[in-house]
Amino acid sequence: MEFIVEKIGMSRTITVPSSPVTLLKVVEAKVCEVENGRAVVAYSNGKKLNKAIEGQQKKYSLSSEFNRFVTMNVTNSEAGDLDRAPLGSAKVIKSSFTTKGRGFSGVIKRWNFSGGPGSHGSRFHRTGGSIGNCEWPGRVMKGRKMPGQYGNVQKSVKNQVISYDEQNSILVVAGSIAGPNGALGRIKVVK
Amino acid sequence: MRNKYIENFENSQIEKKNIPDFRAGDTVRLAVTIKEGSKSRVQNYEGVCIARRGQGTGETIMVRKIGANGVGIERVFPIYSDSINEIKVLRRGRVRRAKLFYLRDRAGKSARIKELRK
Repeated sequence: MEFIVEKIGMSRTITVPSSPVTLLKVVEAKVCEVENGRAVVAYSNGKKLNKAIEGQQKKYSLSSEFNRFVTMNVTNSEAGDLDRAPLGSAKVIKSSFTTKGRGFSGVIKRWNFSGGPGSHGSRFHRTGGSIGNCEWPGRVMKGRKMPGQYGNVQKSVKNQVISYDEQNSILVVAGSIAGPNGALGRIKVVK
Repeated sequence: MRNKYIENFENSQIEKKNIPDFRAGDTVRLAVTIKEGSKSRVQNYEGVCIARRGQGTGETIMVRKIGANGVGIERVFPIYSDSINEIKVLRRGRVRRAKLFYLRDRAGKSARIKELRK
């Protein structure tokens, strides 16, 4: 079963040993139509609205704030509010969030290269250094770690569920989750 | 201000704890559970609270005492942790700052803290 969640932030427990936790808020979502457990689900994110979205809202008689549509697995058998019952008994979830985008990054930030000394005539500071051999093999090996776009990709992690507060629809999971606070992502109940 | 959901989550853990009101300069005694293999026992640690840090479940205190041979010992405790059985305030100190790191450079008479009289 899948859900759309918002990352709230991190905290910790007071147990021994204490464990870091991430708080996720389950976003209100409406099931538009279901077929064999797969459903079109509408949720709200930002103010984006165009004629295509308006047409969908009219078709499923949704209010104007539900402007995003996704296909996911649900327990609902008919259209209406998304059934959150599976979260109450969930033990492990898999979360998929987009990581923070760091733009075009050098090898030190992107691949944890150590870099060279700052002074004493060293002409090797933050560059990657040599990227291969000479005439043989005459090319750069595949998978060579180099500068480039870092972040802004989807990252999935499995997390243990600590608690679920039905009233505020807050899911507390152990460990960290990719992305900034306030970001929306998907979770899947694994166990 | 912290996020209200994070605050809710932390308060639900903290509210069962009975932590007395104290600040830097106060002498405190902590009962700490220590686990050795399968056995666990309670050890007391007594000293001057020289700093209080953090908020919510992550709040910690730094407690300084003078150990054997006049060696200063500082330990940091998360005050809401389940390993802290009890915190007892033994003496209120009259101090003028929130962090008493100057005590590290003092010894003997000059390292005393006056008792707070109301």
